[in-house]
Amino acid sequence: MEGLGDANEINARCLSASFPQLWSQWQLLDSILPTGGFAHSFGLEAAMQSRLVTTTDDLKTYVIHVLENAGSLLLPFICATTISPDAQTLRRLDRLLNAMLTNEVSRKASTAQGSALMRVAASVFSEIPCLKTMRGEALSSGELYFHHAPVFGLVCGLLGFDAETTQKAYMFVTMRDIISAATRLNLVGPLGAAVLQHQVAPVAESLSTKWMNRSVDEACQTCPLLDTVQGCHSYLFSRLFCS
Amino acid sequence: MERGKLIVEKVEGKSTLTRCLSKYPMKFIVPKKVGSSQTDVVWIYTITYGGGIVSGDSIAFDFTVADSCIAVLTTQSSTKVYKSIASKCSQQLLEASIGRDALLVVIPDPVTCFSTARYSQTQNFTLATDSSLLLVDWITSGRHERGEKWAFSYYKSTNRILLQDGEPLFLDTTLLEQETHGAISDRMKDYQAIAMIVLLGPKLQQIQKQTEEDVKKIMSQQFSFPSNSSSKPDMKPDFVASCSRFGPKGMGVVVRVASMTTEAIYSFLQHQLASMEELVGAPPYR
Repeated sequence: MEGLGDANEINARCLSASFPQLWSQWQLLDSILPTGGFAHSFGLEAAMQSRLVTTTDDLKTYVIHVLENAGSLLLPFICATTISPDAQTLRRLDRLLNAMLTNEVSRKASTAQGSALMRVAASVFSEIPCLKTMRGEALSSGELYFHHAPVFGLVCGLLGFDAETTQKAYMFVTMRDIISAATRLNLVGPLGAAVLQHQVAPVAESLSTKWMNRSVDEACQTCPLLDTVQGCHSYLFSRLFCS
Repeated sequence: MERGKLIVEKVEGKSTLTRCLSKYPMKFIVPKKVGSSQTDVVWIYTITYGGGIVSGDSIAFDFTVADSCIAVLTTQSSTKVYKSIASKCSQQLLEASIGRDALLVVIPDPVTCFSTARYSQTQNFTLATDSSLLLVDWITSGRHERGEKWAFSYYKSTNRILLQDGEPLFLDTTLLEQETHGAISDRMKDYQAIAMIVLLGPKLQQIQKQTEEDVKKIMSQQFSFPSNSSSKPDMKPDFVASCSRFGPKGMGVVVRVASMTTEAIYSFLQHQLASMEELVGAPPYR
């Protein structure tokens, strides 16, 4: 009888250790978290205005291309900071990504989202005081650009998520945000958007598997047309989004 | 593997090619005079034996442009990459070092990869804070008159610009690979050529400003009509370009272009780089 009690206690302890993590995970992936993701269309607005995306089929293809590019360019940065969630790694990867995001529009979007995420995470996850200290030090030294991908990896790493989950989570939030932008651009209705998201999910899964766990030396862009069109965002006559 | 070598340095006050070692299958051609003899510049043309890069070829060379020199690296025609045999990948590597107050101008014709070709190129540039670099890196969809549109298997182009202390200023790797989620042509839509132009350094400040203004003007016309206008209802623009600043204090400009014809990019380059004639003796892409 005692043996069984011990087993139950161990089981209960394990479950209770993962429960807070699960709730934090859900909160991090919820679009209600105030990180300003809704202000960015990942070049979709420019693609629509240049008639590159006109139908829902075009939209589906566009989402897949953005995900592929996020995978090839950004997952290595997520992976690295999730595995080593410390200030030194963050600084090194932040500078490296800044040199790689040669598109000014996406570079600014990245720093805006990363800064917001760092600020939110430092306030929300108070059980991890180093988030606040890292943020404070970086703000006073002016050394960090706060790019989104490395910050995302850092926060998840400090919350105890494994690298695979974090990389897939990043692909998820990217997909979530573009599809949300598509509804606000009237390219698809809310129900159609939900259907599309589910249809794209298996592709997102296989793209995540393909591009995850690579070194930052391998980071590359795979959709140059997308990059070119997104760079046109500031030429748009009227715009809803920042990028 | 032994590498080719080019050194341009000042000899009696003039930019001079003091070392020129080419390794098969690459050859350097150095015309005695390009343009006006007043201009202090050295032009170097690279060609490959056989007219193109053959499956499995590996080409590498170092290029040093010493302080205050001006050098131009260009091609005689489009670099053709022939089909891959036994999945071999051809490679090209350039390691360039640009001295203080020096200018390197890299203005090749585009790379054209034939069906099933596999090609990888890397260009690393190390600069001083007052060096200047004009870099054009571009590719066509292939022999499109033969119906080969983005039919190659693998193309990877890496361009790295670093300061002398190793600080990365600009890092870009573009990878185009045929794969399960879609052919390369899906990602390129109807565009048949893409280009990247980097303008960096004090000698190129005027061209940077002019190019930013010109691109903004061209593209704003594309977007000035709301999307439900009856004029040009469903037509994608033939030519798309965007400019971005990069680096500390926005010291560099990168232009990305996608075009439905190669000619339109030649035209664009000719127009934007015309003022380079003053520095290099002849207008690029004439």
